[in-house]
Amino acid sequence: MQSAQKAIPSLLVLAVSAALTGCQQSEPQDAKVTINLNPYPSTYQPLAQQNTLIKNATVLTGTGERLDNADVLLENGKVKQVGKNLSAAGAVEINAQGKWITPGLIDVHSHLGVYPKPSVESHQDGNEMTMPITARVWAEHGVWPQDPGMHTARAGGITTLQILPGSGNLIGGRSVVLRNVPSNTMQGMKYPNAPYGLKMACGENPKRVYGSKGVSPSTRMGNMAGYREAFIGATEYKRAWEKYESDYAKGLNPEAPKRDLQNDTLKGVLDGDILIHNHCYKAEEMAMMMDLGKEFGYHSGTFHHGIEAYKIADELAKNGNCAALWPDWWGFKMEAYDMVHENIAMVDAAKNSCAIMHSDSGSTIQRLNQEVGKTLYKANRNGFDLKEEDVIRWITINPAKSLGVDGDTGSLEAGKRGDVVIWNGNPFSVYAKAEQVFIDGAKVYDRDDPKYQAQSDFLLGQR
Amino acid sequence: MTKLSKNLITKNLIAKNLITKGLAASLLVLSSFSYADSLLITNAKVHTATDKGVLTNAAVLVEDGVITAINPASPKADTIIDAKGQSLTPGLITPMNQLGLIEVNAVSRTRDAGDKKADVTFDPSLAFNPKSTLIPYSRKGGITRSVISPTGGDTIFAGQISVVDLSGEYHSVVDARNAVYVQLGSKSKGSRAISFQTLYNKLEDAEKALEKAAKAKAKAEKDAKKDGKKGDAKDEKEPSREAKIINSVLSGKPLVLDADRGTDLLHLIDLKERFKLKLVINGAGDAISVAEQLAKAEIPVIINPLSAMPNDFDSLHSSLENAAKLTKAGVKVILAETDTHNMYQIRFSAGNAVSYGMSKEEALASLTANVADAFNINAGTIEVGKPADLVLWNGDMFELSGYVDKIWINGKAYSTKSRHDKLRDRYMKKTDMPRAYVE
Repeated sequence: MQSAQKAIPSLLVLAVSAALTGCQQSEPQDAKVTINLNPYPSTYQPLAQQNTLIKNATVLTGTGERLDNADVLLENGKVKQVGKNLSAAGAVEINAQGKWITPGLIDVHSHLGVYPKPSVESHQDGNEMTMPITARVWAEHGVWPQDPGMHTARAGGITTLQILPGSGNLIGGRSVVLRNVPSNTMQGMKYPNAPYGLKMACGENPKRVYGSKGVSPSTRMGNMAGYREAFIGATEYKRAWEKYESDYAKGLNPEAPKRDLQNDTLKGVLDGDILIHNHCYKAEEMAMMMDLGKEFGYHSGTFHHGIEAYKIADELAKNGNCAALWPDWWGFKMEAYDMVHENIAMVDAAKNSCAIMHSDSGSTIQRLNQEVGKTLYKANRNGFDLKEEDVIRWITINPAKSLGVDGDTGSLEAGKRGDVVIWNGNPFSVYAKAEQVFIDGAKVYDRDDPKYQAQSDFLLGQR
Repeated sequence: MTKLSKNLITKNLIAKNLITKGLAASLLVLSSFSYADSLLITNAKVHTATDKGVLTNAAVLVEDGVITAINPASPKADTIIDAKGQSLTPGLITPMNQLGLIEVNAVSRTRDAGDKKADVTFDPSLAFNPKSTLIPYSRKGGITRSVISPTGGDTIFAGQISVVDLSGEYHSVVDARNAVYVQLGSKSKGSRAISFQTLYNKLEDAEKALEKAAKAKAKAEKDAKKDGKKGDAKDEKEPSREAKIINSVLSGKPLVLDADRGTDLLHLIDLKERFKLKLVINGAGDAISVAEQLAKAEIPVIINPLSAMPNDFDSLHSSLENAAKLTKAGVKVILAETDTHNMYQIRFSAGNAVSYGMSKEEALASLTANVADAFNINAGTIEVGKPADLVLWNGDMFELSGYVDKIWINGKAYSTKSRHDKLRDRYMKKTDMPRAYVE
């Protein structure tokens, strides 16, 4: 994300020169007020990497292709080439005969770091349930990078993950996208230039949390009113800033609008810089949220959990929404009652769909491949004809698209980040294990080499 | 689900001869519950979950809902199913869940598993709903019986545990109140020590009361003999309902205890020795740190094999390898799925345990025979005399691609189709009408 701070010196020059030429203004301009859009910038650096040639594997590219007996070459941290009979002087060669290679897995829905293990009171940092609209909070400010779950997720092939605030609020705050490398700071994991997300929540959670306190929202009507009021405020805020900027550009000396953290984030949504990630289970509510986006001129983004997404699969695809789903969670709430195992397959079947398998769990994030496998075979027994090369997209390129990083990762295409997993066999087997995991071409996990098995500080000396 | 799925069964009319098999009499006796006719499953790979291991190309005969022969001399039955070499296993038994006690967790009126006022007498099986939609859904996982447990109240005594079958029929509580459940371990308020003391004292008091009553009775009998009158001990009072339950634990009814930390588990080993209890430990997060002691004390543990993170300070040794390591150490391992709604996936959890070192037969036992053993359930193995809770699998039962081909409970075939499948079918059909019109 471009830093707005950088713009200050040149604008100052502009302001000074405008004052000197003394065009229509009656008073000299004050320094222009700008908002730093990236105050907690990424310091992520790939780990030490070596050029690596992985040979003779079954390769699922993430673009819908399967290559048998093929090679993947990682050079300078990037995917250099995927194909047969590759060679590269000086590259470390791995014979992956009988093994499968996929892009690094991406989970769009994780609370690792904000609800870390051990799950003690002091670690509950994911849900600021003190008011229904908390667009002002940022998940990255609550991330504990030492969460042991980051490491177990890496052992399951997760290379990129989005950390979201919880769903207790109508608007829960900003998400952050992380590279799954060990680091002592959030910034050290933060995905460079990935857009922020905004967590929103439909349905039962916010109305239960606030209704039980006797405040709004206590109904789904109240939920909608809450989002609308928030975006009405944000629309005014955006207009005020735009007026300020255009007046300033005209050489006037307007007073800058008062900074407001809530509206900074919501304006980011209206500007298209921040992507929506909306916890929303039911068909009619997702349809409502699509219209809400249209009402205020933003895109309704990705629906998370979407238990009833299959009921509106065509509408989701037509409106360009991704749906991030579980294979089988159900029954914990009334809004999660109409689960079907084939949900993601039904969503995926629509033209221009964007179906995603997500975890929302420190446990299943370790087996996102198996979560896909649960659906794959069941769906194929019930009218689908899905192949491994199709369904791998649910945990690679489609989540990358949802996060706005698909130009950068999510598939094994030349020029993309060298995020790669070598599996011991077909990744959609219950016996599948990630053997080696690469992030930006650097080996970050090796099942057979303790040197590449990172562990949280927390666990040292505990057992 | 009272509807017998007829399409699952190929009727063998030629073999239908009830009288010569002497079935008619028993069918009359069982008039209130009509078993399926006799059933023969041939050409199966029979995983017995006993020390007989796996029998290839075997046949299992079922009569009156009971397994009456393995490889019978005369392969005749009303219904013959050719397993075509696929695996036949005992039906799975899932421990410690709220099947039939909770339909939707967040809908209070569908929740009957716990009560603030729950004590050791609390018996949620009275609230068991065999028509819950979770039951046919759970059959997708090859589950035929379930150990249903209360969730607890204000005290450590959560209540009583019962066994149900997954037929979905009325009267499917099979063994009511066959175990007692006590929740120990870390506490959000107060000290765990109080919990241990409370349980210990309760058992000790009960033991003393029994001794006292026995002495009084003996004295009364002696006095009566002397006086030539009928014995009548003054102190002999009818024990309270609570006392009766504690007494039953002292005389060997299974006692299930929640605990995780190594030291807690060692206390429970002592407790077992002191009172000669039949213990089962649920959770057992750090069991691996005292595996040898648990094995020696012959205490089975109920664990989640997918636990790989240090969930709390009581469970710092979580690892995907624990199920295999505990088994190797000689501990009887039972695998559990903590999400009652998705118990169907317990076989996948077991598959992961296999991936991390358990043998497939050990994994099967941890879902069947070991559960039956711990809870005194007459099921969980394929043996003559056992109820015919059987699952015929298509493919590897632990694999994501494997699935239940046929499932029998007490010899009767059931469907695995649930409302989830009906929803799918409704939304996959081509129609110009609103889905509400589609079957």
